[in-house]
Order: sequence, then C-alpha cells, then structure tokens
Amino acid sequence: MLRLWLFEMYKLFRLRSVQLGLMAAFLLPFLWALAPGLKEVYGLVLASGWQVVSLSLMAGMEFLFPFLVVMAASESLGSEVAQGTLKSLLLHPLPRTRLILAKLLSALLYPFVLLGASFLGSLLAGLPHGLGGFYGGTGLGQGGFAGVGFLSAQEALGQLLSAHLLAGIVLLPLAALALLYAAAFLSTTASALAAVATLLLMRLLVAFPALTPFLLTTYLDLHLRPQAAGLGLPLLFIYTLGFAFLAALVFERKDL
Amino acid sequence: MEALRLEGLSKRYGRKPILVGISLSVRPGEVYALAGPNGSGKTTLIRLVTGLAFPTAGRALLLGEDVHRNPQARRHLGAVVEAPAAFYPYLTGRENLKMRAYLAGVKEESRISEALDRLKLLAVADQKVGSYSLGQRQRLGLAAAILHRPRVLVLDEPTSGLDPEGVELVHSLLQEMAREGVAVLLSTHHLEEVSRYAHKVGILGAGRLLDEVVLGKKEVYRLETEPLEGALALLKTLPQVASAWIQGPAILFEGNSEAALQALLREGYRVKALQLQGFDLRVYYQERVKHA
Repeated sequence: MLRLWLFEMYKLFRLRSVQLGLMAAFLLPFLWALAPGLKEVYGLVLASGWQVVSLSLMAGMEFLFPFLVVMAASESLGSEVAQGTLKSLLLHPLPRTRLILAKLLSALLYPFVLLGASFLGSLLAGLPHGLGGFYGGTGLGQGGFAGVGFLSAQEALGQLLSAHLLAGIVLLPLAALALLYAAAFLSTTASALAAVATLLLMRLLVAFPALTPFLLTTYLDLHLRPQAAGLGLPLLFIYTLGFAFLAALVFERKDL
Repeated sequence: MEALRLEGLSKRYGRKPILVGISLSVRPGEVYALAGPNGSGKTTLIRLVTGLAFPTAGRALLLGEDVHRNPQARRHLGAVVEAPAAFYPYLTGRENLKMRAYLAGVKEESRISEALDRLKLLAVADQKVGSYSLGQRQRLGLAAAILHRPRVLVLDEPTSGLDPEGVELVHSLLQEMAREGVAVLLSTHHLEEVSRYAHKVGILGAGRLLDEVVLGKKEVYRLETEPLEGALALLKTLPQVASAWIQGPAILFEGNSEAALQALLREGYRVKALQLQGFDLRVYYQERVKHA
C-alpha cells in the first residue's frame, strides 16, 4: 500500500495543474509584496513580512487554493482515464478500493503541500519587510492587521502556522468531493465543474439559517475564525470521510 | 477445467442491449479468436471478461474464480485492452514494467528484461514511453501482459498498429504461449492471420454469439443443385447435417455427405455437383454476419 501511495504521489506531482498550482502558490506572494494598491483595497500598509504571509493565505483561500485542490483531485483520476492507464492498473489483482484510497491520500496531502509552497514563497517575499517582531497584527489574531500592540516573531509565526494548518483542513473535504465526482464522471473537467458548482450551490443555502451551521461552505474561512473550530473541525472531517466513502462506493462498481 | 468460462454474459446500457447471453469457454492451450463487425460487442466483451466493466447478467470465470466478485482472480490474467496499450509517457518502458510487476506481485527483476527481450524491446527499454512508436507501445503492452506468466491472455486487437514484422512477432508469441498451456482469447478483424493457429473462432453479431467455428476439424461440402432454397431447407432438417448455408450459386454444408445426397435424391432434387471444399473462414464469416 505504501508503494502504491508513493507512486500515486509521484503521479500527482507530475500533473500539470499541480505543478502550475505550486508555482502560482509560491510566486503570488511576491506579487502581493509589491502590490501598490494594498492600502486602497485592504487599508493595509505592510509593516512586516509576516503580513505578506497572511495576506497571501487570505487571498489564496478566497478562490485560488480551493480551485487548485479541486483541479488536482479531479485530474488525479481524470488524467488516468484520458491516458488509458486506469484500465491498465485495474487489469491487475488490485482492489479498486485500495487504488482510490491511495489517490485520496495523495489528494488530501496536496492542500498542505500547496499551502507549504505559499508559506515558503510568502516568507521569501516578506523578507525585505523583515521577519522580526513588529507593532501591528497578522490579520489573523486580535485587532486584524492593526493588531493590539507589539507582536513577537514567535507569536506571528504561531498564528500563521495555525492558520495554514486550519486552511489545509478546510481544503480536505473539497479534495474528497472532487475525487467523488471524478469517480462518478471519469472526467477531469466534469468533476472540477461539478465540485465548484456544489460549493456555489451550498453557498446559496445560507438562506436557510437552520442549515447554515452544517454546511461545508460555512467553514471555508475557518482559518480566519479559529473559535469556530469546535463544530467546524469535526464537520469538515465528517464531510471528508463521507465524500471518500462515497467515492470508493461509486468507483467499486464503475464500468471502465 | 476451462481456463476461461463465460456463462450467459449480458450487458445493457439503459434499455439498449450491447451483449446478450454470451457463453463460451477457452481451455488451457487453446486460442479463441473473437470476430465480428464494428459495434458487434467485441470490446465490451473483452472489458467484461477482464473485470473492467460489470455484466448486467451472467458471470466470467478465470480458472473457476468470478472475476467480478474477486479481484484476486485477475492474478491469472494478462491483458491488453487498448490499442495502443496505455503507459505513463514520462516513465521509461522498463520503469513502467517495474510498476506493473509490483502490481502483479512479480518479485524477480530478471523477468522484466526477459519480457522486454521476448518482445524485442530491450534496445528502447530505457527510453521514455512518450517517445515510443505506436507499434513499440503495443509490443510493450504485450510484454506487460505476459510479465507475471498469466494462465489466461485476453487481447483486444493485439496486432493493431504493428508493422508486418511486429504482426508476425505477436502471432508467434501467441502460438508459443498457447503451447505453454496459456488460454488465449483475442478479438480481431484479421481472420486469415489467426486462422493459421486459432482453435476456435467465435462470430459476434449484434451483441450475440452467432456461431462458434472449430478450426482444423472443419469439413465443408459444396453442393450444386436446384432449386437452391428448397434443398437448403431440406438439408437443415437432416440430423446428419450440422450446418448449411448458401454461398453464391451453391450450398455449403458440414456433415455426412452421403446421407445428404441420399435425402436430396429421394426428394427428387437434381444434384449437379457435390464435392469436398476447403474451409474458407473469411467467406464463412462474411456469410454468417450477412445472414445474422
């Protein structure tokens, strides 16, 4: 199983969408660090390199990172269907559940690698602004970017690591959802579109207040409000497991 | 025990039947060729046999194990289901085979070189598959299929995209595998080529197994008589005649020629000629499909 998972990881990182995604996640912080309109748009004057890191995370989590994760998970199965290699794999005495599980584990690791690339890029992009303690905030703790006084480097790093970890967890159910659609449609495009459409549809359901606490989309900004993690984290894990279980179920009897 | 056995295999998509009640068996060492026009269901049948698709009814057994209920049954199976065979283009031929060997549970490293050598691919083994020609990829597919010494080989159009040398290589490999006791099921449009060594030919038409021709034992008689339709109807009623069909201005039939002749004369038919004729699989196939 380990060797199969490692091979799936290798294949995932060979995907064009994954390579482009990692490059974008790494390079975009440099754009933010140089953006001339930050003050006009966000009311922010960069006081520290740590703020570049949080700004990159917030901007990425708006749409780019969820989209990249959905694309990668969709393509991990869709590209094998398009190349014909999925059939070749399944001609062996390999249970389908094991294969989809290996793909799922790879797709679930990808959000953390993506966020890691963004974190690394942000640190480098933020270096000119300094990565020591500063007067202000990371935008993730009390007082937003203005902060509540002096913030040490350790505190800033802690806030950012915790936010990146939460953001990674937020992206897990999206990866599992995309893999479920990929197993159902056996197509990268159809799967990615269906996953994005599902998220948009869920967002519309905020009009039903009774449902809101249980919607996946309610917790897509969990990294910004860690106080909601009590209900949010278990729900995100339940969604991830549910989508993964359904993906395995659909794939088990799928005609290829 | 049959190496491969299909029992009433059917497949429908929605209300459209693709295959209806296909039953056939292939014994160890036997080569079974599936022939049929495009759309007759050959590829669907291959996908069902290999467990890639699931039947609406019936079952496919590999050495007695149901391929759809037990994925482990595929340990006996070597297969190429696409032409050209699909591989990861960014890996070399050898690396692709290493991955397949791992999935098939092959532990001997030397087996990879053996398979590559058998398909004359050693010279390009360490090149990326993306740079392979279609023929080389097709041969690599066969190398992957025989890697774990399967007891059943299932191949969809194995000579598709190959040059004459490659075609000859594949045919000789299949004959060799059959001699080693491997059961071979292959789909093909090249009847003349496979009729040299295939033991049986299954003719598919409109999703049904129209006929199964046992090659090598086939004695066909050519009868010229009048009226043709009446004589054909008579021959079909005789228990001594296995099959009869019209081909051009004559009737071809399998069975006891003396009994057939006596019956025809008894019924007052004027027999102009009756002679033993070599069996032409291609002509037989065309007639069978035309009258399906």
